[in-house]
Amino acid sequence: MKVGLFIPCYVDALYPQVGVATSKLLHYLGVDVTYPPKQTCCGQPMANAGFERMSRPLVEKFEKVFKDFDYVVIPSVSCSAFIRFNYPKILSNCTVSEKVYDVVEFLHDILRVTALPGKFPHVVSVHNSCHGVRELGLSSPTELSGPRFNKIVDLLNLVSGITVKEPERSDECCGFGGMFAVEEPDVSKRMGEDKLADHIATGAEYITGPDCSCLMHLQGIAQKEHKNIKFKHVVEILAAGL
Amino acid sequence: MRKEELFARLRANTHQQFDMPDMDIHALKYPDTLQQFIKMTLSSGGKIVRLKKDGDLNAAIAEAYPDAQVIASNIPGIKADRNPDLVAEAQDLNRTDVGVIRGEVGVAENACIWIPQTMKEKAICFISENLVILLDEASIVDNMHEAYARIKMTDYGFGTFISGPSKTADIEQALVMGAQAARSVTVFLLS
Amino acid sequence: MSTLHAKKAREFLKEPAKITHHDQTFWGMRMARDKMVSQIPEWEELREKASAIKRHTISHLSDYLEEFSSNLKKNGVHVLWAKDAEEFNQMVLKILTDHQVKKIVKSKSMLTEECGMNDFLMSKGIDVVETDLGERILQLMHLKPAHIVVPAIHITRQQVAHTFEADGISPEKGNDDPTYLTRCARNSLRSEFLEAGAGMTGCNFGVAKTGDVVVCTNEGNADMATSMPKLHIAAMGLEKVIPDYESLAFFQRLLCRSATGQPTTTYTSHFRKPRPGGEMYVILVDNGRSDFIANPDHWETLKCIRCGACMNTCPVYRRSMGYSYSFFIPGPIGIDLGMLKDPKANSGNISACSLCLSCDDVCPVHVNPGSQIYLWRQQLEHFGTANSEKKLMSWGMSWVYRNYSIYNMALKVAPLLNYVPKSIIGNPKMNPWCVGHLMPEFVRKPFHVLEKDLEKEYEKKSKIEP
Repeated sequence: MKVGLFIPCYVDALYPQVGVATSKLLHYLGVDVTYPPKQTCCGQPMANAGFERMSRPLVEKFEKVFKDFDYVVIPSVSCSAFIRFNYPKILSNCTVSEKVYDVVEFLHDILRVTALPGKFPHVVSVHNSCHGVRELGLSSPTELSGPRFNKIVDLLNLVSGITVKEPERSDECCGFGGMFAVEEPDVSKRMGEDKLADHIATGAEYITGPDCSCLMHLQGIAQKEHKNIKFKHVVEILAAGL
Repeated sequence: MRKEELFARLRANTHQQFDMPDMDIHALKYPDTLQQFIKMTLSSGGKIVRLKKDGDLNAAIAEAYPDAQVIASNIPGIKADRNPDLVAEAQDLNRTDVGVIRGEVGVAENACIWIPQTMKEKAICFISENLVILLDEASIVDNMHEAYARIKMTDYGFGTFISGPSKTADIEQALVMGAQAARSVTVFLLS
Repeated sequence: MSTLHAKKAREFLKEPAKITHHDQTFWGMRMARDKMVSQIPEWEELREKASAIKRHTISHLSDYLEEFSSNLKKNGVHVLWAKDAEEFNQMVLKILTDHQVKKIVKSKSMLTEECGMNDFLMSKGIDVVETDLGERILQLMHLKPAHIVVPAIHITRQQVAHTFEADGISPEKGNDDPTYLTRCARNSLRSEFLEAGAGMTGCNFGVAKTGDVVVCTNEGNADMATSMPKLHIAAMGLEKVIPDYESLAFFQRLLCRSATGQPTTTYTSHFRKPRPGGEMYVILVDNGRSDFIANPDHWETLKCIRCGACMNTCPVYRRSMGYSYSFFIPGPIGIDLGMLKDPKANSGNISACSLCLSCDDVCPVHVNPGSQIYLWRQQLEHFGTANSEKKLMSWGMSWVYRNYSIYNMALKVAPLLNYVPKSIIGNPKMNPWCVGHLMPEFVRKPFHVLEKDLEKEYEKKSKIEP
């Protein structure tokens, strides 16, 4: 199984440690991982803003770079969801859309990880990012009827010493939404403040989730409000000790 | 607008057509249908009185509504001061303390009772301050699919499902019983 | 870069406690809905089939309307067809003047709101009395509904008391207890029901097979409005028709649970024939619907049964309130309907969505209102309403991402931003990100630089551990 690693633009520029954790963890688990050079962006921000046509060259490039891998793994649910559901509409004969997995999905569903080496003796509050919940199925959406599950929680519970909590409104949107955060800054801020308060109320030391864009939004608000809570992407916790 | 114009435009503008789905549904059934009906009636704000079919209904009405002065009904055997079949105008039923009407089908999932119009003035079902609904225990079904398979209209051409008293929460979400219609509903479950 | 919705929302958000109350109220309704859903194991199947029934009906709409109207006529009901709002209003006026009606009582109808019927009739000297308590309060306060099911949710009990006192509905000055105020409204509206010459209702579902007009209320006001006055006018959008009772069961079970988290409305009334000695009219209204059907991406908006679940769950609606939207219906479905009706006028609502898709999951008939907003966004350029700053930003990002050497250079330079004084970069007017956030830190070594070191590390390890 040949796996291609895609590190999204904002992870590359702002949270490279998430890329490092992903790479190290996959390597530790014996996966044959390649990081093709000269990666940039999956094209989501422009499309969500309403300019899907501006994403097209990036979609074509992604297809070209990753078409020969068996899987493409990405530490971002929003990018993974965009590629899986929107690429086939933008590019006919797209092959990558079926191969793309968010790293949590990949670990849980493909590698079926049952043990992890690390320790993380802290209380964490899980941020269930919308794309993960409602598009990739990382957890059962609270709106739907059916059995309850959460793949993020399952994986985190493999890490020794951890206490995993979820906020009361466990899958309400944080208010980032890409350009939404700058086009509707007041609503976005209010949504983020409420979500942050909900996480803090769990007593957690860390907020963790499968997408750095949500975490960036919450962290930016926490810093502005001098709230003393830390942030880590889920894969950083899963790769603890590596 | 002539309907032919409209239909022509609708047909021209419809690009894809879809079939009806398979209508089979494994709808909710209760281990004890009667108990569920009672439970849902109580939680909708309604009251339940259990009686034998040949019991003294008038005594039961007096017990449920001891202060009632004006009773309306067209049901034979019910001691009524007003009859919705015989009033000159619907307005004449105003200030009725208790309206006594008959339900045909009860629905356990939501405490709905189907009340076809069997009187000249349906106002009795709504204008009465309090309602007594007579319902045969044996005519309670589990869910709305079963109910809709059974209901019939009468010649009057009106029927309604009533579940509990009239209510509103329009002022600051505070639930108030007795908005525009019945302030209380008592279901006489007959066996 | 501020849209109409963003500007209005900013004003409402200046009262955080009010927004908290609004948000918690609607989250409560969403939770009540979830509780109902957990009690119905077949819930997702109900949604699937209801959606399929609607797709079938709407794609055969002329056949069902033919069946419906033919049965209405057989039952002695007059059937009229209104092309648009203006024709509808004129038809209602004619019916009322022909019957010498001076006062009409009406139960809730968003369709009459859509057509601006109340103002039109009032301007012609006809007294229109709203009888849904929320709508009546708004009518007396000269305000518009802020939600399609609980229209006066934003009005406080003190405001209601004040209004009722001013209009002579409440005799006890200063008494703002909701039960007391509801009783006052009951007494006042009772006289209206008794005196009115006509009653108007909307229509939740029109049953083609039998000709039934089905109206669902908690208050019983639709029934009161049609039990005394001898003239009943029902206003119905074309898309409200459904095939038969078997279909109706699905919608009846889904509607109230989705809307308010109750297992049913108190009253589910079927109007089939005029009252003895009375007359009944059904006015079927198009007002653009026959054109919406032609839109391949958005025709399924016509499946909507007006439950309001999408706005209850929408985190943006809950924190910006109904009056932030330019269309008479707010929230996700309001954004979609507004774009269908008048895209240029309503493009300012399209920003009011973080694309969380919670609304897609609660919609009882799979309208997928959130997914439709994403599609509407792609069309703003075509309507000429795309935001030029957003377009430039998107183009700029696209250009940087397409040219790796520029991207690489940008990342090398970006850490300098960390040193720009907060007074400049943190200025919300220059940088809207900083309305709510501090800037994130750009790293000296992005992943693609660190990765080279990682590769070396892996290689070293594989040499040590064969």
